Amino acid sequence: MISERDLRDIVKEVLKEVGADNPKTVEKVENEVQSAVSGTSTEVESGVIADITEVDLKKELLVPNPADEKAILNLKANTSARLGVWRTGPRYKTQTLLRFRSDHAAAMDAVFTDVSDEIIEEMDLFRVQTKCQDKDEFLTRPDLGRQFDEENLAKIKENCKDKPKVQIYVADGLSSTAIEANLRDVFPAIKQSLEGYNLEIGTPFFVKYGRVATMDAISECLDAEVSCVLIGERPGLATAESMSCYMAYDAKVGMPEANRTVISNIHSGGTPAVEAGAHIADVIKAMLDQKASGLDLDI
Amino acid sequence: MDKILSVGIDIGTSTTQVIFSEITLENMASGFTVPRINIIDKKVIYKSDIYFTPLISQTEINGEKIKEIVEKEFKEAGVDKEKVSTGAVIITGETARKKNASLISEQLSDLAGDFVVATAGPDLESIIAGKGAGAAQLSKKENRIVINFDIGGGTTNIAVFDSGEIIDTTCLDIGGRLIKFDQDNQIIYVAEKIKKLAAEIGIKIKENTQLKQSELKKITEKMAAILVETVAAEEKSDLYQYLITNHGLSQKIEPDYISFSGGVADYIGQEIEPEENIFAFNDIGILLAQQITHSPLYQDYKIVKAEETIRATVVGAGSHTTDISGSTITYNGDVFPLKNVPILKITAKEEANKPADLVEIIKKKLDWFDLEAELQPVALALKGKSNFSFKEITELAKIIVSGMDTIISNRLPLIIILENDAAKVLGQTINRLLGQKEDVISLDGIKVNNGDYIDIGKPLAKGKVVPVIIKTLIFGK
Repeated sequence: MISERDLRDIVKEVLKEVGADNPKTVEKVENEVQSAVSGTSTEVESGVIADITEVDLKKELLVPNPADEKAILNLKANTSARLGVWRTGPRYKTQTLLRFRSDHAAAMDAVFTDVSDEIIEEMDLFRVQTKCQDKDEFLTRPDLGRQFDEENLAKIKENCKDKPKVQIYVADGLSSTAIEANLRDVFPAIKQSLEGYNLEIGTPFFVKYGRVATMDAISECLDAEVSCVLIGERPGLATAESMSCYMAYDAKVGMPEANRTVISNIHSGGTPAVEAGAHIADVIKAMLDQKASGLDLDI
Repeated sequence: MDKILSVGIDIGTSTTQVIFSEITLENMASGFTVPRINIIDKKVIYKSDIYFTPLISQTEINGEKIKEIVEKEFKEAGVDKEKVSTGAVIITGETARKKNASLISEQLSDLAGDFVVATAGPDLESIIAGKGAGAAQLSKKENRIVINFDIGGGTTNIAVFDSGEIIDTTCLDIGGRLIKFDQDNQIIYVAEKIKKLAAEIGIKIKENTQLKQSELKKITEKMAAILVETVAAEEKSDLYQYLITNHGLSQKIEPDYISFSGGVADYIGQEIEPEENIFAFNDIGILLAQQITHSPLYQDYKIVKAEETIRATVVGAGSHTTDISGSTITYNGDVFPLKNVPILKITAKEEANKPADLVEIIKKKLDWFDLEAELQPVALALKGKSNFSFKEITELAKIIVSGMDTIISNRLPLIIILENDAAKVLGQTINRLLGQKEDVISLDGIKVNNGDYIDIGKPLAKGKVVPVIIKTLIFGK
């Protein structure tokens, strides 16, 4: 940003060059420039700029005069990749660039915001926290994101049903937005389905700054048969709302990652949350029947 | 990866054929997501000889002889009836109007396997032939409009595909065996409608007489001209209307490609040498093919070679009738296969009604099926939203349970068919509302219309999907 003094010097310089450097002119021009630069113009426009994130990229045709419009749109309907965005010179067009930046910003927001109190209360969850103290620590110390201190472990033990057949809980993970978008639909669907199988569910709760492997500590603490965490996925440019469900049979600290089962890509453009919930319950049922999970599970 | 065996049996006006094909199913989703089972390959593994369809008289099919043919072909192919998972028997063309047609197709479908379904109707024939000819696939691959003329002995089945989707069908009483001769070129059979067609151009034709080749040429020329009207004429002639088997096209078609299948197609674009071979089959098939070759239909449009010609319908019946449901579905009870279940379709507009009104709409439509007179399952079909909330699913489940009360109270299986992916959760919700006590079948990934019938087979791929065969009786109305 140019400082006021620099600005004054530039104006003087320019006026001198065009031979209009008498003090009065200089002052007038200076004031005009000043007001233009600082944006003190009082005129307010009533127009609305269209929200670029409202555009469905899968249906957007940016190639001018395409040889086969239908073919491009058919291709685009099958992927969230930004195909056929066209260009200006060697660069993206403004619209494409802005949309890219806005989607990137949404992804950043998903990581850095917190899951709201409203949804935690609405879903009737109590909350615990891993050893991480803030987002920065959560992002830089994955090890702390899977551990609990004594106090939080005690809280889990105290509030939860002991030895549940199925322990389901929620963690923010890398996208709080994903939890906000899907939890209301996925959780009751899992619950309904498990109840249909006459399977008992433990007490659900919410883990702040939680990673997938929190399930190991929780499973050990509660002696759960199957543990299941609904967790926000690392957001991408396609969506910031994608949630995963990780499950394991008899999870233990230090267990191989291959023993976890995951259903990912739960969002409005992927697997619908309600349908994912119904499917997750089937997977849990299979785990209990086979007493296995991950690569050992045959589904 | 799962492989299933499918059979196709086509009893046409002139020929009867059997094929077996192998359909391969595979989960196309990664192991980290909800499964998505697709049909990834369809391969014809056995083709029978082509038999002349045995008839007792001009109006009756010889069921015994057909049974012999089918049994012989099962033996030749080395296929056990128990190994056949799916397939279709289709009686096509003029033969479908023979008096014992439906009885024979029902008997054959039982003979061929548990989930081999009997089908009929010119619309479905057109669609099946178009798929067997490869027109649907080409249209999908190229994103173009392809029209297929399946010209058989008794009818020409016409199907129009746009980007792989069927958009229109029609059928005309034009075929290669509507005039038949004996060894001495004496006319032994001529279809009523062809008599009228001939009369229009001033030619008198009847059985036990002979016509000059030039006159037969004129008749087939007129038949070809009628076919041309299908794509070229905005207003169809009276004769065209007269020759329509069931209903005309519902829209003006501007095809990017035309393909020909059926027995007559083999001779379209071919020169016949020597000239007298033109009556090699004792009918007008080759002559008709020649006239089509000289007509604008062949000359002015882009022609693509069909993948199958005389076998298009049988290959379509064997390879292209079976679809599979979405991979997250709900069913309980051992009720499969379910055959010939009529569809009660709720339109998207009706879906948008208030719950109480929607219940009434479903009840009223269910009344049409007159369950009091004959108890039978009816499948409720709707599109559904692409992203239901749990609240909306619960609401919809309640609507369905009240609307379909007659079905439930009569202990018939409750069958729901959705287009969008929500069948598993919807089925489970309905199960909860019904106390997990009734047979509920909730499927998705299936598009059906009012007037369709659906057959649902035994679950495949570890129970994740069920095979379905959708029988379109009246297309697009």
